[in-house]
Amino acid sequence: MTMRILIVEDDATTLKYVAEGFTAQQYSVDSATDGQEGLTLAKHNQYDLIVLDRMLPKLDGLTLLSALRTSGNKTPVLILSALSHVDERVKGLRAGGDDYMTKPFAFAELLVRAEKLAQRNVVEPATTDIEVGGLKMELLTRNVTLDGKELMLQPKEFQLLKFLMEHPNQVISRTLLFEAVWDYHFDPRTNVIDVHIAKLRRKFEELGHGELIETVRGAGYRLCKGH
Amino acid sequence: MLISSLYRQLIIEQENQVDAHLFAEMQRYQQLALTVNRRSFAAQIQASDPKTALIAWKNSVDMVGALTFLPDNMPLLPETKEFPIFTGGPDKLHILTGGLAMTNYGPVLIATRTDQLAMLIEKFVNAAFWAVAFTLGLTLALGYIFSKAILRRLVQYNQLSEQIEAGHYNTRLPVSRQQDEFDMLAQQFNRVLDTLEQNLRAVRGVTDNIAHDLRTPLSHLRIGIEQLSEKPQAELEDARAELLEELDDCLATFDAMLSLTRIEEGQQLLDLQPIHLQEICQDLFEMADVIAEAKDQVFTIDLKEDAIIQGDKYLLFQALFNLVDNAIKYSPEGAKIHIEQDNKCIKIADNGPGIADEDKERVFERLVRLDPSRHYKGTGLGLSMVKAILSRHQASIELTDNHPGLLVSIHFK
Repeated sequence: MTMRILIVEDDATTLKYVAEGFTAQQYSVDSATDGQEGLTLAKHNQYDLIVLDRMLPKLDGLTLLSALRTSGNKTPVLILSALSHVDERVKGLRAGGDDYMTKPFAFAELLVRAEKLAQRNVVEPATTDIEVGGLKMELLTRNVTLDGKELMLQPKEFQLLKFLMEHPNQVISRTLLFEAVWDYHFDPRTNVIDVHIAKLRRKFEELGHGELIETVRGAGYRLCKGH
Repeated sequence: MLISSLYRQLIIEQENQVDAHLFAEMQRYQQLALTVNRRSFAAQIQASDPKTALIAWKNSVDMVGALTFLPDNMPLLPETKEFPIFTGGPDKLHILTGGLAMTNYGPVLIATRTDQLAMLIEKFVNAAFWAVAFTLGLTLALGYIFSKAILRRLVQYNQLSEQIEAGHYNTRLPVSRQQDEFDMLAQQFNRVLDTLEQNLRAVRGVTDNIAHDLRTPLSHLRIGIEQLSEKPQAELEDARAELLEELDDCLATFDAMLSLTRIEEGQQLLDLQPIHLQEICQDLFEMADVIAEAKDQVFTIDLKEDAIIQGDKYLLFQALFNLVDNAIKYSPEGAKIHIEQDNKCIKIADNGPGIADEDKERVFERLVRLDPSRHYKGTGLGLSMVKAILSRHQASIELTDNHPGLLVSIHFK
């Protein structure tokens, strides 16, 4: 099933970057370059996700969002903003946004966030197990095995691995991992994630598969489907 | 007013005295006329001291006493009347006050000189005039001096504002020891100037630091991009990632700067909710534990009485985490880090290198970093952010010596 995405963005460079990225991921992309056009498209079409810029000509992002929510439209909205991180968290989310990213951003992170939001709308059968290659996670018992051998994980390590397993082969930024494990949203600028990943990787190494968790410099971490 | 009433008082007093004196003399001569014969009476009158009273009696043939005539229309004592007489002396004209006393031997004129009184009055008027004139003169002179002094100070204020306009922000107004309104104003002026100068210096410092902080990574980027084309294919990916990291650091600095300004200026909306300090400290401990563990540090927590405050959970956590992260980052391997929470007080202690007293205030300034080599990664805005966030939460922060190390104490209201 192809996902339909609406991108409302007036900056041509950003629009091209985001649209091409989603198209490459087999998404069906519509775009609008001003708020008015964006609102019209959003009202007359069924989208799985709207990527919305904060500052738009004719109708600014937050007004568009409020109008959309007032009319009863519940399509997930991801706000793109040139404002600071702290600003957006309160204002954007309060106006009815589901998530936000501050510019500039890596497309990889936008993709993961977009998938998370789009999937929220899809009623999935309750999964109890996740499998990635030889890695198996039972969510109910919290039992994790690699090639049938048990991995003993701390609660935070478990949450980190779960998030990585939900997005195999994708580069996951530190910020995303941070949000997945802790209920605090800020750019920690600390190596807390790296330390956790290092511990996790050591446990993988003990079973001879340290290469499964790959460090992507300047971007984050990736879980390889590997063997 | 005062002078005129004093004057009236004096006149009345003097007149009363004259009246009483004349009345006493009248009684004396009436008594005398009853007890002595006509000749002795005349002799007594003749012998009377003109300084006490001037007595004149018209005998059957001539005048006896100090006066050679009896003025007309003299009233009977105690009624009195003023009348002039001429003498041969240097003060030719005298003013007398007197009246007639009826005795057995006929009417006797009893009078007393009152030109002293007139003189006294004149002197008094004179004195009053000079007093008024002197007071007026003094007032004018002092007023002039004062207004000169005030003008001089206004001129000073004017000069100061001109100098400040010209960019000399270190100029200050003189403050005298009198502590008058002008001194108070001057002190207030000087305080405003102190703050202004401090802020200007801070802005200048920030600008310099930004230039320095961003120049270095930007020049690295420039070099990196230039060299990309010469890199072998295998190294390309790594080089690209390295450049991205460098760029992200610059962007993080910008974002932090933007956020800091927003928080400091109070523009930042706070997402207020009740926060259990115990819970936030526990989260803090759990999150930072792995970092301390990686450095083999002894990381402990002591939670005492819980307290609930209104705050922005994310911002507050960010601030507290920054402090704990610093304690771990700047303390050596094997150091001890301790978090203590009791009611509305949170303490973060380490036994690391600590901060010198002269730097304890400075570290909160923007982009101030105590390691000049910039060995530790960071935006240099962390502690400014911490302070801004805490002050938005009406919390105080204090850095003290932990002998050895640093003790950070935070108090919520």
